[in-house]
Amino acid sequence: MKETHTMKKLFQSGTPLAACLAVSALALSACGAGGDDPVNGEDEGGEATSTGENSDANISIGMFAVPANLDFTTTGGAAVFEALLYNVYEGLVQLDAEGEIQPLLAESWEISDDGQEFTFQLQEGVTFHDGTEFDADIVKFSLERLDEWSANTPEALAAIDSVEIVDDYEVTVALSEPDYNALFWLAGPLGAMFSPDSVDDLATDANGTGPFEFVTYENAVRMEFARNDDYWGDPAGVAGVELVYYEDASAAANAIRTGGVDAILRSEAFDQFESFEAEEEIEVRVGSSQGVVVMSMNPDHEALAQDEVREALHRAIDKESVMAAATAGYGEILGGPSVPTDPYYIDFTGTYDYDPDAAQDLLDSADVDDLSLTFNVPNRAYAEASAQVIQDNLSEIGVDVTLQTQEFPAVWVEENMVNQDFDLTIINHVEPRNMNNYAFPEYYWGYDSEEARDLFAEAAAATDDDEYASSMEELTELLVEDTPGVWLYNPPNVGLATEGVSGLPLNDLGVGIDLSDVTVSE
Amino acid sequence: MLLNALRRVGVFALTVFVASLVVFFLLGVLPGDPARAQLGLQASEEQVQALREQLGVDRPLPVRYLEWITGFFTGDMGVSYASRSPVGPQVLDALQVTLLLVLGGIGVAVLIALPLGILAAVRHHRPDGTLFSGLSQLGISIPNFLAGLLLIAVFSVALGWLPSGGWQPPVAGVDFLRHIALPALALGLVNGAILARYTRAAVLEVMREDFMRTARAKGLKPGAALVRHGLRNALVPVVTVTSIEFANLIIGAVVIETVFVIPGLGSTLIRAVANRDLIMIQSIVMCVVILVLLVNLLVDLLRPVIDPRLRIAS
Repeated sequence: MKETHTMKKLFQSGTPLAACLAVSALALSACGAGGDDPVNGEDEGGEATSTGENSDANISIGMFAVPANLDFTTTGGAAVFEALLYNVYEGLVQLDAEGEIQPLLAESWEISDDGQEFTFQLQEGVTFHDGTEFDADIVKFSLERLDEWSANTPEALAAIDSVEIVDDYEVTVALSEPDYNALFWLAGPLGAMFSPDSVDDLATDANGTGPFEFVTYENAVRMEFARNDDYWGDPAGVAGVELVYYEDASAAANAIRTGGVDAILRSEAFDQFESFEAEEEIEVRVGSSQGVVVMSMNPDHEALAQDEVREALHRAIDKESVMAAATAGYGEILGGPSVPTDPYYIDFTGTYDYDPDAAQDLLDSADVDDLSLTFNVPNRAYAEASAQVIQDNLSEIGVDVTLQTQEFPAVWVEENMVNQDFDLTIINHVEPRNMNNYAFPEYYWGYDSEEARDLFAEAAAATDDDEYASSMEELTELLVEDTPGVWLYNPPNVGLATEGVSGLPLNDLGVGIDLSDVTVSE
Repeated sequence: MLLNALRRVGVFALTVFVASLVVFFLLGVLPGDPARAQLGLQASEEQVQALREQLGVDRPLPVRYLEWITGFFTGDMGVSYASRSPVGPQVLDALQVTLLLVLGGIGVAVLIALPLGILAAVRHHRPDGTLFSGLSQLGISIPNFLAGLLLIAVFSVALGWLPSGGWQPPVAGVDFLRHIALPALALGLVNGAILARYTRAAVLEVMREDFMRTARAKGLKPGAALVRHGLRNALVPVVTVTSIEFANLIIGAVVIETVFVIPGLGSTLIRAVANRDLIMIQSIVMCVVILVLLVNLLVDLLRPVIDPRLRIAS
């Protein structure tokens, strides 16, 4: 179901009910039109609209993070749901390429005035790959099963109190308190719909309603999908997808050069992009990710508890140099905890300009000298490169930093997130909207602000986009002022595609990688 | 001779037992929580504790050891924490891949080492003999991952003759050979160079033996004397070194598998360590230990067959 601009505008500006009706009407007509034109005409580059797409083609895509198994309800990390969500599994709603919420298995919905009831009208005639019919019972089953999730933040939808079946194709989700974020989370892995018969072997098999059927997963080697010919929406653009998993960025780069794969997503071979850009037959596509690379400063440390000291460290760090070392300069410098694709993003990069002299003055006025800090660094290339630059930067204002490399995730998570035993530490938080964790003082960031918690509550109680965004903007401003961390950069999401491949998603939105629009021309 | 064989088998069994204890208890004190590794950064302490109980990693080490070791030797290696499927088939699949790779590596090593070593020995006073020695010295100093990367750069990226990585099972025929060629070469080159030096030394030593002079005195030409009497005698140290190199090749395969994206024991092991998939790590390490010990045992038992003199000595 590919939406048009008209649909988006209606949805953003109109009253919820009118918008939903319009959306459902459009959705139905799009369905009725059949799959004659599977190509999205808006696709940048425009090559896709030229003739010669081969709908019998298969595509082989190199990927990085390796799924441990197929069960994202009990396995952390983005690798599992990135591959399966929107391709094999679907939820009631989805995020489109711009990060806007769009209908999927729900053709429309209404939110009650108090923000505590979401009523969804469901698509009819949808079946799971094993033939199970999708209806209101499935929605109730899937959302109530969130209690059994242990990974991927089921507590983000903790506000869901009950799921009432209105009729076969209408359900009402009641919240215990208003939560404007609920729709966003329903568009991600937490909103995936499961068939009750399949939940016993989620780790080894995948049965959804999506445009692709799951075929096989050879552990850590490759995953295979085949087009679902009975798909309820527009059929997928390729007959089959093979995801090939690489743990080494150079190995993947060699594979695309030698024809081993047709495309690479989430590439981290930063040092090779320049040479790829010079090659005609390979297109380098730089989009944005949800990641925030943040250096956290432990407020339990006497000096770091002082606002002036944290600001001094923030000003002493040359973020451009950090990003040059970590990603060869690809990505966006950040000034705050939100990323450019967040609806409430504001550019705060000017707030704490790189200024070692000002940083030195701040330290002096806080009466801090001889500061020495331990910096726990996860053994990831970007983190080690960033930490070395930061160590150098901080030595210029007389702060002595000792780097301590820790194995990630096993040791780093234990020492920093669980034991919270650090002065400084750094990590790329890849989860979407991860700044929500500043609401929890017990989180390893240790940020404890009554004012911030009130603003989080205000944002959650919003009933429209503007209200939500304005609370979140105010909150971001407060966080930047308090600077519990130094937000360094938003890593790029880099895809590489060989000639003839189009329709690959540009941005990483922290949900599934939608491959249904991908086409290969002959 | 039978008694000797039995004694060796006994030592083998004891070593396996001690190795299993060392492997298990070392992993027991490894920092990093298996449950936390599965659930990721965002999981709460309660969720992690629940999984700990479910996986059984909260129980005392001796209990877990007994459960694992009895399972291991009765064919039930348990269920992987990460993939949630039985460890046994996964380890066997990976083992098969690594064994093929290592055998390929040994094949390459022997094909390089025997001619190079013999030529270097026979012609050791001449410039080309020195050149062969020099070549093997050069081979020893190239780490195998570098050899792998160079081979990929030349044969895959520049020439486009062979795939840069990936794996096909032997049933794929030509495709299997295309995929195993470069990794086996990368693995075998370095070990071939090492083996060549041993071969050279062994052949040189044999050439100084009295029986060689006798063979020449009977009228055999130097080449014929070497082939008929010398090589067989030079073979004993070469076979012994090959078996020691076998362990090195398995370790080398860990690196080569990563460079060439091959789903063998090495890449499986590295991932299992990152995931703190303890049961998988234990099983893989035990398999490698048993494999290496087994090869050593076989060579010990085979040496008397190659060299009748050793039968009397033992």
